[in-house]
Amino acid sequence: MGVSRGALAAPMDTGILRVALRIGVAPILIVVLVGAMALVEPRFFSRLNIINILRNFSFLSMIAIGQMLVMIVGGFDMCVGAVMALASVSGAMTMGAALVAFPDLPVWLVCLAGVMVALGVGTLAGLVNGLLVIGLRISPFMGTLGMMSALGGLALFFTRGVPITTVPREFVSDLGRGMWLGLPLIVWIVAGVILLAWWVMEQTAGGRHLYAAGGNPQAARASGIASGRVVTSAYMASGLLAAGAGILMTARVGSGQPILGSTAAIESIAAAVLGGVSLRGGIGRVTRVVTAALFLAILSNVLNLARVDSKWQTLILGIAVILAVLIELKASRRSDNE
Amino acid sequence: MSNAATTRGGAVRPTRSPLWIVERGILALLTVVVFAGFAIHSPVMATNANIANILVQTSYLAIFAAAQALVIMTRGFDLSLGSAVSTVSILCALTMTTLAAQGAGVSAVLAGLVVALAAGGAIGGLNGFFVAWGGINPFIVTLGSMNILLTLSTTISGGFPVAPLPEAFRALAYAEPAGIPLSVLCAALALVGLQIALSRTVFGRAVLLIGSNARATIMGGMAYRFHLVSAYVVCSALVGLGAFLMTARTGSGEPNLGGNLTLETIAAAVLGGIRLRGGQGDMLAPLLGAVFVTVLSNGMNLAGIDGYLQGVFLGLVIIAALSLDRLRSKASA
Repeated sequence: MGVSRGALAAPMDTGILRVALRIGVAPILIVVLVGAMALVEPRFFSRLNIINILRNFSFLSMIAIGQMLVMIVGGFDMCVGAVMALASVSGAMTMGAALVAFPDLPVWLVCLAGVMVALGVGTLAGLVNGLLVIGLRISPFMGTLGMMSALGGLALFFTRGVPITTVPREFVSDLGRGMWLGLPLIVWIVAGVILLAWWVMEQTAGGRHLYAAGGNPQAARASGIASGRVVTSAYMASGLLAAGAGILMTARVGSGQPILGSTAAIESIAAAVLGGVSLRGGIGRVTRVVTAALFLAILSNVLNLARVDSKWQTLILGIAVILAVLIELKASRRSDNE
Repeated sequence: MSNAATTRGGAVRPTRSPLWIVERGILALLTVVVFAGFAIHSPVMATNANIANILVQTSYLAIFAAAQALVIMTRGFDLSLGSAVSTVSILCALTMTTLAAQGAGVSAVLAGLVVALAAGGAIGGLNGFFVAWGGINPFIVTLGSMNILLTLSTTISGGFPVAPLPEAFRALAYAEPAGIPLSVLCAALALVGLQIALSRTVFGRAVLLIGSNARATIMGGMAYRFHLVSAYVVCSALVGLGAFLMTARTGSGEPNLGGNLTLETIAAAVLGGIRLRGGQGDMLAPLLGAVFVTVLSNGMNLAGIDGYLQGVFLGLVIIAALSLDRLRSKASA
């Protein structure tokens, strides 16, 4: 188990609020939501709809885990959406260029090149974020906001705002629409990513260093953890994960999209805070964040089924973030008082 | 506050160190250099018409940047500024089109102004409430309200510009009382008024003290929450005023009027010398910063630089301004 302040501080108590705080509100909300749908909307349980939910959940949980990593070290990543867009565009452009330049190359190699470039771009963006925060000591929120403007501008500049459609057909049919054991390949891939993230955070020294660097930077440094390097790698991981979500979305929609991820920042922050990640750093669990992402994916689907305009979903996200933080603050104050 | 002096009134105010003058001088010089550089490249830059244009554009940004600066001084932040501009623009335009359809003329414009200020004030009141009473990080509060306002501005308008607006309202954009464009006059009044409030009133001192030492504000018996909420209300009411004037200029209520404004106001305020850690600053900062940002974007437009690349430049300017902010803090610490 990681050095999680929330888990240690939670006293034994049977109050509903306490239970909710320990496992998070997300599982309760999921049960309520699914239960309500069972009563009023049978379409919700159709195979296609559930696959749809799982796919959206996959994209969201990937960026939400990245956001969580950055928040654990006391930061924010506002440019996840811009990284998704830039990764999507650069990956698609690389594949297009490789198809033209080396027509004899096997398709899988072309796709691999595109994926590698996209992931590289994302990791590089994360590295720059990390250097801004650690090297120049810029406030994470502001620094990544500036990067959001810069990276989003680059994605639009390279494409002139037009989607890049030179993606190989196989990339879309095999990866984007591919199925394995009845579930989309994308879901399997993200499941692997989630497991890996869980393993790193809960079972390895790297995860413990991350919690330590965020929870108490001085103590971390005193015990020999290179906290600058740990923080930078959290930003790099967030960039990598956002780029991964971007390239998977590219495979799904079949083109490089410069306007991808416009709501990624608020969605990932919503998933993180609903999943109990503390804004003050040091606290956050993969399982809870992933559960919160699942809740948000189900909520969005339910609202779609109820024909609620997607714009209103943004409004709900805004309210949800504020409320979640309010609850978290109340809870931490209460436990501080004891 | 490390470098503070006791003034005649006995209140604590930051001293104006030589560093302060050097910084402002460098920014002013940089503005002139950027202006001259673009002027050499495209002669249109230095024409009277374009300079008048820059002046008017600066006046809008100066109002918004001053609003942002006021909140930053409390160690806060307003991420919802841009979408508040859009929402206010839509709301006041809707008021005016509705009233004008019933035959109202000047009174419709007045009603529009009242709605703009009230809507702005209400937005600020909500932001301030969650920051002061909820104790939530201002980033998160305004990130949430940004998304809420984004939804409101696009759904209320249905995504389309709100028109036609009364003739009397659109004439405001070209009104020049005493030979000065109305928006420039408003910006000047707002900045001077805020500067006086900052240096001469309890509210102003409270704003700066909240930013530098919130606990001291409470211990000192000041109405901490009241002043903090007031800062957000004043900020957003100013945003409402700016949105009203900008709507007159565009000639219709625009659901995307706010666009890049949040980022531009941060860039302007921080470049001008407002410290992100709060507790310091004056109204010369957002003014100088707004002039620089406007000259830069006007020059890039005239030089035919891709609109998309301008987003990249804006990001780089912000990061440069933030690095500067860190250097300043180190220098004064």
